[in-house]
Amino acid sequence: MEIIQKRADQDVINTIASIVGQDRVRTSKADLYVYGFDAGMHRNCPDAVVRPSSPEEIAQIVRLANRKNFAVIPRGAGTALCGHVTPIAGGVVLDMQGLNNILEISSGDLLCIVQPGVVCDHLNAALKPYRFFIPGPASSEAATLGGMVATNASGAKALKYGATRDYVIGMQVVMPTGEIVRFGTKTLKNSSGYQMEKLMIGMEGTLGIITEITLKLAPLPEKTAACTASFQKLLQAGQTVADIIAKPIFPAQLELMSEMCIRAVNKATGLNLPEADGMLLIACDGHPEAVNDEIRSIRQLCDKNGAFHMQYTEDPTQIEALWRGRKQMIPSLSALKPEFSTVMLADDMAVPISKVPEAVTGFIEIQNRYDIYIPPYGHAGDGNLHTKVLLDPENPDHWRQAEKAVQEIYDLVLKLGGTVTGEHGVAISKASYFKQERADAIPFMRAIKRTLDPNNILNPYKIFDWEDSFLTHLRYPVEL
Amino acid sequence: MQDKYIDLETLKQEMLTCTMCGFCKQVCPVFLDVGWDTGSPRGRMTMAYGLITGEFEPDETFRERIFQCTQCTDCYRRCPSSAKCPDVVLAARRELVRRGFINPAQTKLVENVCNTGNIFADLDVEFPEQNGEIPLFIGCQHLSRPNNTKKTIKLLQALKIYPKIIREVCCGFPLAIMGFEKEHQEQKSRLESIFPMNGDPMITFCPSCLMHLKKEYGQPVQHVLQIINNKLDDAPLDMIGKTVTYHDPCDLSRGAGVIDEPREILRKIGCDLREMTHVKKESRCCGGGGGILTWDESLSDRMGMARIAEAVNTGAEMIVTSCPTCEQTLKKSARNYAEKNSTKPLPVRHILDLVIKAIK
Ligand SMILES: Cc1cc2nc3c(=O)[nH]c(=O)nc-3n(C[C@H](O)[C@H](O)[C@H](O)COP(=O)(O)OP(=O)(O)OC[C@H]3O[C@@H](n4cnc5c(N)ncnc54)[C@H](O)[C@@H]3O)c2cc1C
Ligand code: SF4
Ligand code: SF4
Repeated sequence: MEIIQKRADQDVINTIASIVGQDRVRTSKADLYVYGFDAGMHRNCPDAVVRPSSPEEIAQIVRLANRKNFAVIPRGAGTALCGHVTPIAGGVVLDMQGLNNILEISSGDLLCIVQPGVVCDHLNAALKPYRFFIPGPASSEAATLGGMVATNASGAKALKYGATRDYVIGMQVVMPTGEIVRFGTKTLKNSSGYQMEKLMIGMEGTLGIITEITLKLAPLPEKTAACTASFQKLLQAGQTVADIIAKPIFPAQLELMSEMCIRAVNKATGLNLPEADGMLLIACDGHPEAVNDEIRSIRQLCDKNGAFHMQYTEDPTQIEALWRGRKQMIPSLSALKPEFSTVMLADDMAVPISKVPEAVTGFIEIQNRYDIYIPPYGHAGDGNLHTKVLLDPENPDHWRQAEKAVQEIYDLVLKLGGTVTGEHGVAISKASYFKQERADAIPFMRAIKRTLDPNNILNPYKIFDWEDSFLTHLRYPVEL
Repeated sequence: MQDKYIDLETLKQEMLTCTMCGFCKQVCPVFLDVGWDTGSPRGRMTMAYGLITGEFEPDETFRERIFQCTQCTDCYRRCPSSAKCPDVVLAARRELVRRGFINPAQTKLVENVCNTGNIFADLDVEFPEQNGEIPLFIGCQHLSRPNNTKKTIKLLQALKIYPKIIREVCCGFPLAIMGFEKEHQEQKSRLESIFPMNGDPMITFCPSCLMHLKKEYGQPVQHVLQIINNKLDDAPLDMIGKTVTYHDPCDLSRGAGVIDEPREILRKIGCDLREMTHVKKESRCCGGGGGILTWDESLSDRMGMARIAEAVNTGAEMIVTSCPTCEQTLKKSARNYAEKNSTKPLPVRHILDLVIKAIK
């Protein structure tokens, strides 16, 4: 794939310094190196890193970019997992972390207004006294709201509480051609024309630079209760999930651990979870009576489907203990092969809820054909599955095997009617599989991008514009 | 040999274990101050890996970020993968020092320790030598305040703790933490030649000496507060009667796990404890850790002021701590904070001074 460089030269960098101030521009080797990564596998250096302090400064930089043809890459905390903020054609990274003020909390209007660099957990700490919250991703202690909106992030509570898109009601955006515009409203309802604020969700920094976000609030639940259920057969666990949803009950969390994950947790932590083919971890929250009713029905369904071991609690410390196994799972899986490293591949596919057991069994079969480890687990309640690919990142053969295994995984996901990414987005790592999934929609997505960003300034070569496999620009020293 | 990053190579697996999740960013006092990702633990891990893969050449920013780390180890506590970023930083410092990247303040400190055995180059340092039951390692900071140290030893005796005190030299902690490994090893030999490190239990006043004696000399060491706490139950005490907040020194709380003892002591001597937001294992560095006073005093002061602001928010009348370096750093920051906010400085006290006052 030919990458046409969109670099910022020294003149451009000087001009940017005159816009934002010299102390907000960095060009040291160290800065350029560090800002070449996110939490994914890719790397490429920008020409400068800039911390703007206002939408007006950003607009000036974007207009300059259109005149001088350099790339601009908006960046939050850099926790994205697919090479989202890797400046593939060079250019200027806009580090938005400094725009981190909570501008308004209006519980009576059920909304808050924030700058994009606010960290999700910081916002939730500020909302807590009002008894509200915004559901966040598992990375909520680091991820910014700007990054969450731009990737439509969601977490383990998505079944009941939805994804970031369900909370965004308005925003201010610097468009790729430099205009500062407002999309959406401060009202919960709005039918006034195209929902442009929704177009900005999941755009991965390619359609605009978000400078302010208006979010709807969710009430903090009064009570939470949790239970676990272990099954001899994964299919029984899967059937239970389908029965719970069909009831209909929407638990706050409904997680599935496969036999391999249970074994890994027991080995790494000595937690002694019952050995089972599948284990469900379920949490319900809300009004105390509703929670009690839901948990009672869930336990009956687990029983009916043959659960051989169940635990239930509403005591917060015991809930913590019940979930410890789930929380320990990621480090435990990495410990399965301490000499291997985790790489972010095939990490967040989603399938229709009823297909979860089939997908999990299929992933394990695929893994068994290769020398690498791909243990699956997931938010069974919303069909979102995670795997952790463990390999030696300096071994080219492992990467080649991973490429084949990942292709097989995505073929299965698509056969089951799923999507290649339920949470993390496309960027570089998932681009080729995304194209397999969305072939018919891509011309229209591309038309939007070309219209709004005629000079291809914002975060170029991402999503549908990434033409290669994921095996280039890797951050590891490996010849492929 | 010089071209290869041998020290860093041995920690390569730590760097590969780092998943770049960024969870360490919001706990790192340096990142929280400087804001740029190069100042985060993740940034330091990334650059270190770049050095050994040959994709990154060290520059001035790298050196700055490596020496700005306070070694508070909060990143390691938070890391879901238990990647040892503080160790990687130390290895990077050793590599930089070997290549001659040293600043004058560091050279001065190293010379002090190597030539006089004492970080303050105090040739007249007094050792209150005496026979006793348990060896006490006083440490340079406490030795530099002879009157205070004498009072503390009297306090121990009043509580029927009989320390054995002999001549000592610096344990080498400041040299190790700044990356002067050759000098550190030499200093260790000097201490071992005069101070028996034979595996017998010993006590110390200083949290950093405590951790260093444990890790580098394999000694079973306790902080004096751990013994004092048990003895206070039977001692006649005057109640201090103050509302205080307690700053956990990183080496004592996250390092040695001494968290409850100082709090129990404060309660026993009649202090009403108001906790700050970041306490116990999640305590924040006062700005005095990792030798950053020799590298970036202004950063150290900003961190200290952030800590004072947390203390002020508790409404306490004073901030108490149990480390001589934290005490000094916080005192300075309390003065600067007061000047900046046109208020009176929040008093800063060492917990041992309060106990001395409380003992009848
Ligand atoms: C351990 C771990 C767990 C994770 N768990 C989850 C999870 O449960 N669910 C989930 O959805 N994700 C998860 N993620 C992925 C990631 O954390 C989320 O995508 C997060 O929302 C990214 O936020 P960020 O601030 O780090 O954004 P960045 O990584 O900096 O950027 C992400 C994207 O947003 C764009 N962007 C950032 N700010 C702006 C802005 N102001 N204007 C326009 N575009 C912008 C960037 O260009 C980029 O394309 C996880 C990541 C890690 C490391
Ligand atoms: S040890 Fe402390 S200062 Fe150093 S990188 Fe870790 S968190 Fe930051
Ligand atoms: S050091 Fe640990 S917490 Fe920090 S980015 Fe790496 S894995 Fe995450």
